[in-house]
Amino acid sequence: MMLEIKDLHASVGGKEILKGLTLSMRAGEVHAIMGPNGSGKSTLSYVLAGREGYEVTGGSVTYDGHDLLAMKIEERAAKGVFLAMQYPVEIPGVTTLTFLKTALNAQRRARGEPELDAMNILKFVRQRATALQINEEMLKRALNVGFSGGEKKRLEILQMKLFEPKLAILDETDSGLDIDALKLVAEGVEALRTPERSMLVITHYQRLLNYIVPDRVHVLADGRIVAAGGKELALELEAKGYADVIKVSA
Amino acid sequence: MSAPREARRAEALESFRVRGMPHRRFEHWRYSDLRAVLDAGQVAQAGTAHWQIPEPPAGVELFDLGKDCAPDWVARNLGNVGNRPTMEEASLAFADGGVALRVPRGAQIAKPVRLQVSAAGNLRVLIVLEDDAAMTLFEVHTMDAGLVRNVGVEVALANGARLTHVRCASPSPRSFTIEHIAVEAAANAHYVAHLANFGSRLSRTELHILLQGEGAEAHLSGVTVLGGELHADVTSHIEHAAGKTLSTQLFKHVAGGRSRAVYQGKITVREGANGSDSRQTAKALLMSQRAEADLKPELIIFADDVKCAHGAAVGDLDEDSLFYLRSRGIPEREARKLLIHAFLEEAIAAVDDGALRDHIWQDVESALPRAMEAAK
Repeated sequence: MMLEIKDLHASVGGKEILKGLTLSMRAGEVHAIMGPNGSGKSTLSYVLAGREGYEVTGGSVTYDGHDLLAMKIEERAAKGVFLAMQYPVEIPGVTTLTFLKTALNAQRRARGEPELDAMNILKFVRQRATALQINEEMLKRALNVGFSGGEKKRLEILQMKLFEPKLAILDETDSGLDIDALKLVAEGVEALRTPERSMLVITHYQRLLNYIVPDRVHVLADGRIVAAGGKELALELEAKGYADVIKVSA
Repeated sequence: MSAPREARRAEALESFRVRGMPHRRFEHWRYSDLRAVLDAGQVAQAGTAHWQIPEPPAGVELFDLGKDCAPDWVARNLGNVGNRPTMEEASLAFADGGVALRVPRGAQIAKPVRLQVSAAGNLRVLIVLEDDAAMTLFEVHTMDAGLVRNVGVEVALANGARLTHVRCASPSPRSFTIEHIAVEAAANAHYVAHLANFGSRLSRTELHILLQGEGAEAHLSGVTVLGGELHADVTSHIEHAAGKTLSTQLFKHVAGGRSRAVYQGKITVREGANGSDSRQTAKALLMSQRAEADLKPELIIFADDVKCAHGAAVGDLDEDSLFYLRSRGIPEREARKLLIHAFLEEAIAAVDDGALRDHIWQDVESALPRAMEAAK
């Protein structure tokens, strides 16, 4: 198993958000987690990435044979966990390229691989940036500062391309994108699908799943998975709305 | 020493004797109570600090203030620039030396003039730039031992003159370090200063800048990086005394351990200084709960038709940014460092000369480990 979440309970500020979530994914699988606002989707992504303030009160998460919850945030990244964030942060004073170089080399160092020099980094980044329509001018700008919603999400996908994770979690990657931007981002993700790489696509809407077709769809409501099925479940949710599906399964 | 110089020194001595050491009851010495840690006798007996200009560039006239027979430009200016605050009077009264530099009319000195200041004691520095002359002064301070250093710097800028003044003071945990910089800028003269402060037991850098000619400009920027029990106070007073004068200030402070970083920026726009524009920003990052930052912008306006803007903010490292960087595999310490760099970047980027900028970044780099330590 690539990811095995068992009876996960997590609280934020003393309030329980995840209330016994269970889910497992094999290598190469793409799973979607859908759910209404406030169901715990983002909490799940933050718990998997290790964000402080998200307290796990019960259950376990096993990633590629390791106890994921025992690992530091940066350790998870170096071991191949990547979270594409819903709201990537803006950091004035750090250029995008410097950030990418620092992150890439930190991960390589943690894995005992040799660091890349400035020239090789630039080449490495350039090769992967073109398909996402990220040009050098964008790489020279401060990280995410003044980027449009689409640019921010494209940069998240570029990072996924550079870091080559084993497990990618995409948190509402479709939010705030118009149809063209959505297509560009989704194609970028789709191109990263390999038999080894697993992806957990968290989304409120079905439309992203037209481009990234999932092997399995889970419905999250009130901190638990209340329904699961094939890709057709996403269409059903879109047609009937969350309320009906959640009611039927409850 | 010439009679007028002697007379001015006697006057300074008397003025210091009457006013004594500044202390916290004076509003602008509130965060740096000098009298509580040092008495007038210790300043009087501190002797004279050392200065050195390893390679004076061609085109710059240099006079050693320890010598007699000062040329007219020295005699005329020494002790006469600015409004004679008490510690500056002390440095004039007690320093038996120092250096005066003059750049003649229209001369542009490309290479920065490196002035090294070391050892304890009082010291005087006089910079005179004639019409349309330009120079960069790179003042490097080190102090490993000794109780007190008190430096008085005077800068007289004639019409259209441009001085870039970069000052780097390495940490002096055992000493008290005081510097007063008095600037008078005539029409269209520019004074550009960058102050990199790494603190001492009590470090005070005070600037008094008089924009007295139309179109005169002052641009101040600086960084302070402190840890342990270090203290650094940057206090500026810019007076817009003529129309269409411009001043900008950008200060970034990082304070860790139990250190204290102070910025006080007072702007006075005098009556008739219409069309003046002043902007000031001061920000501080606190790296520990025991560290302190005091930021105090102040505006006093007697003219109409002026633009004044100021802002001050104290905070700690942004948790969202830290999480973002760590989630990309950057270890926590490195991520914190990257964010501190990002915070300081804007203020250091204000230094045009690449080599001086690198020097400041290196000093920042050496000061960061201490600044990133939590309070003991």
